[in-house]
Amino acid sequence: MSQFNESKSHFIEQLPETVLDKVGKAIGPFEEVTIQVTTDMVDTHRYGSRWLVVTNHRLLVLAPDDSTPEDMQISMQSLKTVHMEPMVGGGRLMLVPYDGESVCLFYSNSLSLKFAEVAEGIKRLIDGDEPNLPLEMDQTRCHKCNRLLPEKGGICPACIKKTDTLFRLLGFIMPYKTQALLLVILTLFTAMLQLAPPYIIKFIIDDVLTTGQSADQLYFYVGLLFGLSVILWVSEIVRRWLNTWVGFRAIEDLRTGLFGALQLLPLRFYDKRKIGSLISRMNNDSELVEDYMIFDAPFILSNAVLVIGIIILLFTMNWELALFVLLPVPPIIIVASLVWDYLEDYWRRWSIQWSRLTTHISESINGIRVIKAFSQEAYEGERFEEHNQSLRKASVSSERSWLVFFLMTNFFMSFGAFFVWYFGGLQILDNKLQLGELMAFIAYIWMLYTPLQWFSDYYSFIVRAFAGAERIFEVIDANSEPFDQTDAVPMPLIKGHVNFRKAAFAYDPGKNVLRDIDLEVRPNEMIGLVGESGVGKSTLINLITRFYDASRGSIEIDGVDIRDIRLADLRSQIGLVAQQSFLFNGTIAENIAYSKQDASFEEILRASYAANAHEFIIKKPDGYDMLVGEQGRRLAGGEKQRIAIARAILHDPKILILDEATSSLDTATEKKIQEAIARLVAGRTTFAIAHRLSTLRAANRLVVLDAGRIAETGSHTELMARKGIFYRLVKTQQESSAIMAVKG
Amino acid sequence: MTSSISKISDRTEQPPVIISHPGDVAGSQLRLTRDLKQILHLTIDSDRTWSRVKVVRAAPLTHPDRYISFLDEKGVEICMIDDPGSFNEETLNIINEELDRRYLTSTILSVRSIRNEFGTSYWDVETDRGEREFVVQNAEEHVRRLGSHRLLILDVDGNRFEIPRLEKLDRKSLGMIERTL
Repeated sequence: MSQFNESKSHFIEQLPETVLDKVGKAIGPFEEVTIQVTTDMVDTHRYGSRWLVVTNHRLLVLAPDDSTPEDMQISMQSLKTVHMEPMVGGGRLMLVPYDGESVCLFYSNSLSLKFAEVAEGIKRLIDGDEPNLPLEMDQTRCHKCNRLLPEKGGICPACIKKTDTLFRLLGFIMPYKTQALLLVILTLFTAMLQLAPPYIIKFIIDDVLTTGQSADQLYFYVGLLFGLSVILWVSEIVRRWLNTWVGFRAIEDLRTGLFGALQLLPLRFYDKRKIGSLISRMNNDSELVEDYMIFDAPFILSNAVLVIGIIILLFTMNWELALFVLLPVPPIIIVASLVWDYLEDYWRRWSIQWSRLTTHISESINGIRVIKAFSQEAYEGERFEEHNQSLRKASVSSERSWLVFFLMTNFFMSFGAFFVWYFGGLQILDNKLQLGELMAFIAYIWMLYTPLQWFSDYYSFIVRAFAGAERIFEVIDANSEPFDQTDAVPMPLIKGHVNFRKAAFAYDPGKNVLRDIDLEVRPNEMIGLVGESGVGKSTLINLITRFYDASRGSIEIDGVDIRDIRLADLRSQIGLVAQQSFLFNGTIAENIAYSKQDASFEEILRASYAANAHEFIIKKPDGYDMLVGEQGRRLAGGEKQRIAIARAILHDPKILILDEATSSLDTATEKKIQEAIARLVAGRTTFAIAHRLSTLRAANRLVVLDAGRIAETGSHTELMARKGIFYRLVKTQQESSAIMAVKG
Repeated sequence: MTSSISKISDRTEQPPVIISHPGDVAGSQLRLTRDLKQILHLTIDSDRTWSRVKVVRAAPLTHPDRYISFLDEKGVEICMIDDPGSFNEETLNIINEELDRRYLTSTILSVRSIRNEFGTSYWDVETDRGEREFVVQNAEEHVRRLGSHRLLILDVDGNRFEIPRLEKLDRKSLGMIERTL
């Protein structure tokens, strides 16, 4: 029976004994189990599990015990279809037979991705195909400790191998190992130097002050104290200087590595993650690591040395008294680590309240016109007062808990002093101890207790920094685009013959956005891609630029599979003009030359003439040297568009992609841009997406997409004569523009 | 019963009549049925029929018991009923079952533990549907306060948990929640 329990894919889950028995009884000896998964709900009212076991012959819905709804069995032949119905907070999978009742399986949102795949797999089984389930699924729980992960497929903050991360971080220090070694030595040295002054004071008291000898020795000891502080001061300066020197250099390297990795990552990586979370990796996580390297790590190291040094020193001086000193240490550590959790909670609440207040402030300043227009000043004031009150409460309780923390640890610490004064005092009276030693003891216990107060803080410093480092390493380690693929075919001169062969694509496994695309495009041909939004036009284009690879089938350029062409050669001969033309913060000339960094000014001029851009650029006070602002904010939409076209003309690609390049512009500007595009298109294989169908008249052929398939191909007149999808699209557009014209 | 339903589903091609103002249609004009395949059929005044109908709440949080909307196969509203008191009993039962099924929001009865680590909170709770563990990130965004005593919590997967009345929780649970939020 072991065949059911081998975990060969994510869709064959480990069955409990009871279900295993039921499966054994239900299926034949040679039946192959293809899907074996559990839900997390029995029905809509109970969490629990029901098992779905699918073989090539039947589907079983089984309960792990008898208290749950009865088991079901449907043969594969009698199954008509499967539906996945999303609900709020979960969903259900409906197995619909030709006759009789549908069987429903319920699951919470945590499992909806899994069941989407399962539904697709069963559909393929009904059609007689292989289920073809994805090999990889993002994990929701940590595979080691089984705790729920904060990010699907992300890292488990509790399980990161701290030693591995530490070694990798140390790796960034390796280029500066001489300085780093010096730094460690200096840290140890200054920590040990700090131990000396109390000991000298002991000599001053015992050998000079209480014996009443001459002042010569006093000069010597005070001189020694002074000398020590000078050395301490100098070495502290050198230590800090070195610390920042090494730390910031290591961080610089780490950040460069991270940014480099981000540039080379495939778009698929960006789709899966929120841009905000990536920016936060760049900012917050590297800041966490920075703080650790610059402040925390040296602080922890020197305090550790200090604590160990003091303990050794105390025991060699007087072990009985040292034991009394150590007595309050366990309570200090316990109290500190207990209270620390609360402290963090209060801080977090305080920062939440603070961010609410600032959000409200910025919202009401940005929306001041609306507030005034509806005269809601008083309402906003009330809302602000609410936030402000919460902030005050949070601040008070956080300060209060700080106070408690300090008072409690100080309380225990003072016990150490009481012990030393009392038992040390007794020993002095017994002549077993000298006054100087007692004084040194008192000084040392404060030096000992203070770092211990922060004991639990160190742990959270380290964990936080390492979690940050781990998130950075995750990006650095992710698979980058195959720019350095060695066996790739170099193609410095592409002719522009593009051929789709049964190409299919899915962003999420199972949900095909494109299927069975067969399309041959001759060099210099212009293809217009038409269809409602969401039918896969942009996806088709993404396959040509190889932002994504086809999941099935292939795309060939000049007879070579696109996946075998050297990526740098491919991209350098593809040009893209999109609706949202992205300009970088720089001058107009720099933005035009973005596609060809070494372009001469004459080349830039020629491109901008051809793009009809020169006429508006020349009117700007700074001409080609005008700064366009962040994302080109200082330019109008049509101006940005023409700069993007100029950029594409300068790039001189063999294959050109126009993605809604002319939409949302006024008629006069659009005409200029149409002209520019006509110049740009000449002599290139062009794929154009346009919302306004009239702009595609220049295309040699139109390709109409519908639900991921090619529905119609042909010239404008051919398609109009056919009275199919394209005809309907044109009609609706004409009607709506007529309405607009009447209203306008 | 099956035969009458198959007749209804044969007629789904007729153009939908969209009546979207609450009050235009009274609940008593509606008849909702469910066939063996779990498909819903809506009939208005015994002459217009829609199949694969969805029943949704317009404001599931603030007005869960009113403003019931019926959507057709494509998600276009067929009609909205503001007062469910006018439905006949059979229809009302189906509506309640459908709404109950659609909104999988669990009510938290007590909190066993909440662990806060690294800006993420790990909850272990007892709900009306049984025990459940979940993870909440970025509590400012994913914990919604609805009024002063009601909480809606969204976990990392988009599952929903509700605490209808905070003050009804036991002190231990309440203390843990207050420490987290």
